[in-house]
Amino acid sequence: MSEELHIDGSEGEGGGQILRTSFALAAHLGRPLRVSKIRAGRPKPGLRRQHLTCVRAVAELCDGTLHGDEIDSSEVFFEPGTVKSGEYHFSVGTAGSACLVFQTVLWPLLFAEGDSRVVFEGGTHNPFAPPFDFIERAFLPIIKRMGAKVSLSLERAGFMPAGGGRFVAEIEGGCTLRPTDLCEAKPIVSRRATALVANLPGTIAIRELREVRNLLHWKNEECLPRVTQDDGGPGNVLLLEVAREDVSEIASVIGIRSLPAEDVAAIGAKAINKYLSDNVPVGACLADQLVVPFALAGGGSYTTTAPSEHTTTNIDVVGRFCAIEITQTVQGNATTMSFASL
Amino acid sequence: MKSTVVIGILGNQLDRGGGERWKRWRPTIDLGRHEDFLIERLELLHNASDGALATQVRQDMLQVSPETTVNLHPIPWNDPWDFEEVYGSLHDFARSYKFDTAREDYLVHITTGTHVAQICLFLLSESRHFPARLLQATPPKRRNRSEPGTLVQIDLDLSRYDKLASRFREEQSASYSVLKSGIATKNQAFNAMIEQIERVALRSTEAVLLMGPTGAGKSQLARRIYDLRRSRELVKGDFVAVNCATLKGASAMSTLFGHVKGAYTGATKDRPGLMRAAHKGVLFLDEIGELGLDEQAMLLRAVEDGVFHPVGADSVAKSDFQLLAGTNRDLRDSVRRGEFREDLYARINLWTFTLPGLADRREDIEPNLDYELGKWTKKTGHAVAFNQEARRDFLAFATNPKSPWHGNFRDLNAAMTRMATMAPGGRINRDVVSEELARLRRAWATSTPTSNAEQVLTAVLGESETSKLDRFDRVQLADAIVACRTCKTLSAAGRLLFSESRKKKAKPNDADRLRKYLARFGLDWEHVQ
Repeated sequence: MSEELHIDGSEGEGGGQILRTSFALAAHLGRPLRVSKIRAGRPKPGLRRQHLTCVRAVAELCDGTLHGDEIDSSEVFFEPGTVKSGEYHFSVGTAGSACLVFQTVLWPLLFAEGDSRVVFEGGTHNPFAPPFDFIERAFLPIIKRMGAKVSLSLERAGFMPAGGGRFVAEIEGGCTLRPTDLCEAKPIVSRRATALVANLPGTIAIRELREVRNLLHWKNEECLPRVTQDDGGPGNVLLLEVAREDVSEIASVIGIRSLPAEDVAAIGAKAINKYLSDNVPVGACLADQLVVPFALAGGGSYTTTAPSEHTTTNIDVVGRFCAIEITQTVQGNATTMSFASL
Repeated sequence: MKSTVVIGILGNQLDRGGGERWKRWRPTIDLGRHEDFLIERLELLHNASDGALATQVRQDMLQVSPETTVNLHPIPWNDPWDFEEVYGSLHDFARSYKFDTAREDYLVHITTGTHVAQICLFLLSESRHFPARLLQATPPKRRNRSEPGTLVQIDLDLSRYDKLASRFREEQSASYSVLKSGIATKNQAFNAMIEQIERVALRSTEAVLLMGPTGAGKSQLARRIYDLRRSRELVKGDFVAVNCATLKGASAMSTLFGHVKGAYTGATKDRPGLMRAAHKGVLFLDEIGELGLDEQAMLLRAVEDGVFHPVGADSVAKSDFQLLAGTNRDLRDSVRRGEFREDLYARINLWTFTLPGLADRREDIEPNLDYELGKWTKKTGHAVAFNQEARRDFLAFATNPKSPWHGNFRDLNAAMTRMATMAPGGRINRDVVSEELARLRRAWATSTPTSNAEQVLTAVLGESETSKLDRFDRVQLADAIVACRTCKTLSAAGRLLFSESRKKKAKPNDADRLRKYLARFGLDWEHVQ
């Protein structure tokens, strides 16, 4: 049994990210883990339900032992067992992000022996978390290119407060990740604006897309309303996607009650314009999601803007688990992350 | 950590369904939407007619809180606003529910349900039928309407709130002060007893028996208990006190229980009696051991059933009173001798407090002295105070273990009165004190032997029988009894008592002599032990 790794949960971003990344890697690498001072700097410190769900899900995959997995707990000890592929079902309470749970349990299952089918329930389009579409069309194509065999299918979108979203991941185990490079901002090959409206008036989608066309001058056929009516909860998200030859960026804005549809469009347009003017291939969100696969691949590089706190936190945590050197080269507003095994 | 179990009632308005339900605050559903509050199990009670809504709420709950198990409990309420019906059904639920407080932490959710149901839940939680804290949800502020609002947990165990606890302590020490007549007593045993009496006085309406030697302050304490109860509105009626030793003879019955006009010669009009005077109040029977057996029988009925027969009356009278009793002797002996009814004794022996004599609480002499001085000043309008040396002299004597204080506070009070009266110009000087000390010494010197003999005899014979004895017999019998108590057998006691005269006898039968001597007073070996 390898030595226990101790992570100070209050460092860097100091929230759930540090917990998710370290649990995923601890399970994958079979490394006992102690995370202390969990969310120490936050207004309500300690474990919240969404974090509990995440650490318990990881423990379930590998028959691991957990101590301190309670609400408000400031320290969790995790002793992982062997990761087992198979059928899993994870539900996230409080309509919390099921996408974040996917991005956590993905790594142990991807390298385990055998294939897995995992059902995720909860929120699929949450503020402060990548929406399902981002995972499916920005994140997944990159790791597939690196060798991962994963497919995702959305059955139903889930929004705050009702949740009730559901998607299924088919993950082929025994993966070996190959390094790749994403350092060049290749031409834009397609654009798409999607206004997703569930159990709310369809006019919201129309208004959002009209404003997108006004602000970005995208074509009519590039703007798609997706309006659904069922017994679930209400929700709205505007997704603005630009695809280069080898990488995509999706800006997403969750519509909330007090925010007019035109303002939703304006916020999204501003974000996608920033990505375009930055002229880097990898957007800020994707940049932090790619730290783990690039580290596990033991090589590769990508260019993004100045790294966010999430990204540097992931870099720090990955450095604790893997013998990897990550070099950051800054050129103007662009930063290139180069990964190399030690 | 214990897992959290919430017991609540479905709100058929607040939790109602429909297509717009996710846009509204629903108290029950929103319990499951807090990131920092995880419910292991929800026991959801609902009116049997709301089954469809309950099922939907369960489904929605599982969606927002997949960690939670939801159990539905349909209850066939005819009228959810009917207190009796709702309380009864919730009481049944609480009684049949298997609470496991070692593993689970219970919260009773009172946000939903009719006001009547909320009141019932509160009452059942306060009475610990639900061993739970209360859980109250409040809706979110308007500007963040999609938030689940706030939760407040209310513990009905008031001792858990520091500020309230200090408030109660103040109130309690005020009660202690009432019971102690405002005297800052220092004796720990006495103060501990006062704290117990305070609790009993405020929580129980059962009889209280105050034991202790004459002058220990039983009557004053009885009055103070009444004052305390009265101040908290626990009694509405009067304080009625009587010394049972004064109730001898034929008039005892009618004094206590009253009579009707013409009940006997001289009964020219109705007399209500003390029992009725104490209706809704407190009746203090001092020296209760002196009460005759007939009166005891009637008293027992009055205590147990609240009814009694006035002398000469055809029908029963009623009085709802609280009984305080005082005695300076051990009533168990009286019971053994058949002078006191065992059933009545059992009835008044529930709360028994023994007041220590002044000799056993000498540290309280000084505060009592100041109290008596203050009382004198108030009564006469003339301020009286000690000289410093005089005070020292008196206290040195008073707290000396050799001072017996036979008459307890009565002695102290009398000494105080005499000194205050004799004080020249309101100053008690050393001369006044030394005169008083001489007086006390004389009094105790003469009272000591007789009072010892008296105590021995009253303990065995009772006061009335003792009073019928000649002084000559009292001394002799008391000494014989004391001798018997030092011996293991009747024969041994006989040998000790007749040690000289037996030498002259060929066949000394000391045991028989002693037995016959005791028999003259209606006593045997068992009695005197």
